[in-house]
Amino acid sequence: CSEYQKALKSEDTGVKYSMADSLYNAGKYRKSLKLWEQIVPAYRGKPQAERIMFLYADAQYQEENYYLAGYQFDRFVSAYPDSDKAEEAEYKAAVSYAELSPNYQLDQSETEKGLTQLQQFITSYPESSYAEDANERIKELSIKMQKKSFEIAKGWHKIMQYPAAISSLDDFLSDYPGSPFREAAFFYKLDSQYQYGSKSINVLVKPRLEEAIEMYETLINYFPEGDYRAQADEIKADIDSILENYS
Amino acid sequence: TAQQDLPVSNGKQYEIGEISVVGAKQYNEQTVIAFTRLRSGDLVYLPGDRISNVIKKLWDLDLFSDINLYATINGDKVDLKFEIEEVPELNKVTINGIKEKKAKDIIKDNDLNKGTKVTENLITKTKFYIENKYKKEGYLNSKVTIITRPATDTVETQKVDMLVNVELSDRVKIEDIEFIGNEQLSDAKLRKQMKNTKQKNIIRFWKRSKYIAENFAEDKVSVVDKYKENGFRDARIISDTLIHSGEDLITLKLYVEEGNKYHIGDIDFLGNTVYSDKELARQLGLEKGDVYNGVLLKERISKDGDPNADDLSNLYKNSGYLFSTINPVETKVENDTIDFEIRITEGKLAYFDRITITGNDKTKDRVIYRNLRTRPGQRYSQAAVLQTTRELGQTGFFDPEQLNPQFLNANPYDGTIDINYALVEQGASQIELQGGYGGGGFVGTLGLSFNNFSIQNLFNKDAYQPLPMGDGQKFSLRAQASTFYQTYSASLTEPWLGGKKPVQLQLSFSHSIQYRFDFNNRSRGRPDKDSRFLITGGSIGLAKRLEVPDNYFTISHAISFQHFDLKNYNVGLFTFGNGSSENLAYTVGISRNETDINPIFPRTGSKFSLTAKLTPPYSLWNGTDYKALADERAAASIEATQAGRERVAEIDQERFNWLEYYKVKFEGQWFTSLVGKFVLSSKVDFGFLGAYNNDRGIPPFDRFYLGGDGLGGYALDGREVIRLRGYPNQSVLPQDRSQTTTSLDRNDGATIFNKFEFELRYPITLKPSASIYALMFAEAGASFDNFRNYNPFLMNRSAGAGVRIYMPAFGLLGIDFGYGFDPIPGTVGGPNGWETHFIIGQQF
Repeated sequence: CSEYQKALKSEDTGVKYSMADSLYNAGKYRKSLKLWEQIVPAYRGKPQAERIMFLYADAQYQEENYYLAGYQFDRFVSAYPDSDKAEEAEYKAAVSYAELSPNYQLDQSETEKGLTQLQQFITSYPESSYAEDANERIKELSIKMQKKSFEIAKGWHKIMQYPAAISSLDDFLSDYPGSPFREAAFFYKLDSQYQYGSKSINVLVKPRLEEAIEMYETLINYFPEGDYRAQADEIKADIDSILENYS
Repeated sequence: TAQQDLPVSNGKQYEIGEISVVGAKQYNEQTVIAFTRLRSGDLVYLPGDRISNVIKKLWDLDLFSDINLYATINGDKVDLKFEIEEVPELNKVTINGIKEKKAKDIIKDNDLNKGTKVTENLITKTKFYIENKYKKEGYLNSKVTIITRPATDTVETQKVDMLVNVELSDRVKIEDIEFIGNEQLSDAKLRKQMKNTKQKNIIRFWKRSKYIAENFAEDKVSVVDKYKENGFRDARIISDTLIHSGEDLITLKLYVEEGNKYHIGDIDFLGNTVYSDKELARQLGLEKGDVYNGVLLKERISKDGDPNADDLSNLYKNSGYLFSTINPVETKVENDTIDFEIRITEGKLAYFDRITITGNDKTKDRVIYRNLRTRPGQRYSQAAVLQTTRELGQTGFFDPEQLNPQFLNANPYDGTIDINYALVEQGASQIELQGGYGGGGFVGTLGLSFNNFSIQNLFNKDAYQPLPMGDGQKFSLRAQASTFYQTYSASLTEPWLGGKKPVQLQLSFSHSIQYRFDFNNRSRGRPDKDSRFLITGGSIGLAKRLEVPDNYFTISHAISFQHFDLKNYNVGLFTFGNGSSENLAYTVGISRNETDINPIFPRTGSKFSLTAKLTPPYSLWNGTDYKALADERAAASIEATQAGRERVAEIDQERFNWLEYYKVKFEGQWFTSLVGKFVLSSKVDFGFLGAYNNDRGIPPFDRFYLGGDGLGGYALDGREVIRLRGYPNQSVLPQDRSQTTTSLDRNDGATIFNKFEFELRYPITLKPSASIYALMFAEAGASFDNFRNYNPFLMNRSAGAGVRIYMPAFGLLGIDFGYGFDPIPGTVGGPNGWETHFIIGQQF
């Protein structure tokens, strides 16, 4: 019977506490977790609770149980807002939510929660040593949200629902003015309008393609040497040749 | 960060000296002080925000029944003393006056568990709860008293016992409901309107007579509505009284003022530009001279709670005028005639702006978005929202009962609205694992079916959580093996091939091998490995949703190939025991599916499918003289010699080397909602298998087998098993089959069949964890060898009842008991009688 097993079965919370503590310090978080779980309720309301709750949450965090870590750190922050560890806890709670953020094609509730918490952290602790990392993560998550929004809009283009694509690309462009997907969004808007216009009934071809030309001009105005320039020029040439028949 | 502290009125700042706590028993003094976060030396205002917040926080804990704070001021310093009284914990509850089981329910519903804090709130809440509960059951005057006293059987003094005394009054019944002042409508008619307040009546045993104030109030509204329906626009109940008319009996008296009966005069429409007066009048369906029915008028304009209602406001909403408002206004009342103006504000046309999806933890955005019929920038249509909900439900990825389109950010000025589809993912994979005795030995089956698979992530390690999911593909694998046969099959369905258009690709492959039963005495009962039948096949199909005539239509094409290989396999069907056969066919089908949201339990809608399976007409060009072969075969089979039999086998091998046939099938099913939750499913099925060249004949494969549960089992010969309950599996022979041969030999399938089925279904529960419904059926079917003998009235009929359970992880399970009214064709005797059928797997 190892010391650890003895501590697990012991009735004495003190024994468990010191065992959990030394396991935690040795980096054996999984083992220490089992002990923390047992003693957290017993110490509730006692002076040691502050330290125990933090270490318990941190062990979850180190074990990458982000779901529980986020919850426990949140609890810690609301119970001990004046604690020396509050800053670290708030940061780690936010990181836990950010880590739970799934693939951009799935529901992004966790991402949004992570973003809010990270933003809140930076507002409360602008001077924190974690601030840089938090900013980095905010950038990463918001790019993910942008990618989601952009890919959904692009999806309408793919299934040839061009008016839907134009409408949602417009929403995308107004929602994310500084997005790295901005050029692509302008281009897909142009292509949607071009496809839509050239497949319209006769009387509508001209006005719709003229609108496409405006979109082309916006694109090359913003991104004169962008990745999509060549493709856009091709479309423009094609539009011009179609419009010759309508002049 | 320091806590906010502000002085209240002329509060002064003091430095805290000593802090003490009196009265703490369960919690030690330090714990309480630590909780207040007050520290000796802190500066606080008295009176001030911080101190009052501390007291509020202590109260909020719900741990103390009394909190007092004493401040002793000593110059600039203040000593704080908290005097608290801890809330006792519950030790034991005793409930007197009612049955033990009811008492248990009360304890459960109010959480009266050992250790619960006994606050004033808990006591009041419990008292109110019990009184109300019994009021609802008709015990109008029940009394509940709750007392607590320190627990005697424990040493811990802060525990209390709770004693609940329930004094049930006798159940009050309504002796009589009287109406006074009604001339136009009889008492009985008005009483009938009162759905939940009823006079006592021995005959009406299903609804007790009881008086519940809220129900009575609702029922009074119904009475007035009844008057309104009959043209009495001004009818009202002036007053009502409740009289105790005997022991436990009450009489309700309602004084009614009926007013005049009105008729509709002129109806004018104002503000309409989209629809003409005439169109609106037709939609309204009320005419000059009709009895003025206020309730109907309201419903014709806008019926609450029915998004599909055929009313005026939906006429506007379905054409995009989401922000329209319609108000009827009485403009002139002359004698008994009322003129109306229907004032319409059409508002701006509404367009969908942002379409979002939440709750998709597994299914990828594009798999969902491509199914949406509400698209950004599109004109608003309520019908499109309903159709989207229906189609999302039918994917099977989400719980159809929890599908919830939420309208957000309605903006009447810009004419835009957003929709969020809130989804709840449900298990879309099924596993089938079976073992049992059947077909002469142990049979084991392993089937896996993944309905929301992601084949592109098959080799992506990270996507296994626990399986690659979310691309909307269906992937299934099945293996079944016994000592006599083995079958293996796999299939993959991609609903949007290439992602551009809803073109479904379906691939499947199967391989099976069957051994003969060994009749040799020494090894009897074991498979004879020298005598086997092998089938290998595959198919590839494409299906496309159509836009014309409407978007419920699908057209599909498939090419299938099967290779049959026989070795020493001389049984029933096959005159050639050694040989092979190839079955190459093209299937084209058109289908229409318009059933409602829940695919397990559709309530309305219909589905149809018509398919034709065709093989190339080889006999047109292969130069074989099948007429001569047929004649020679006829002659050889009469001979009845070994040489004759061999020649027959040779000829049959030549006739069936490449199978040549065509097969046409039709299937139609309608769902109708009846009273309550009952749903009627009506279904018809027809099938016909024919030959291009009558001398070559119809092959023994791909035939129809009627009877029983309709489960395929191990079908080796492409047979189609048609369900007909009340008869043994595949037992119902063609009606025109000769009666002289023995039944075993004759069971080689039919070429024509028809079937009619009615099923009355009732849902018991439609929870995502398990959907259960009960059903009653009546059905009739028949099969034939030849069109000349086809007779739609010659059928095997049956009726019975059963139940279905659908669990996402196991698919559909069910049992049916059917009674066959007719004898099996070819046998003599009475009705077939009762049969029990077990249903496994999906079958609608």
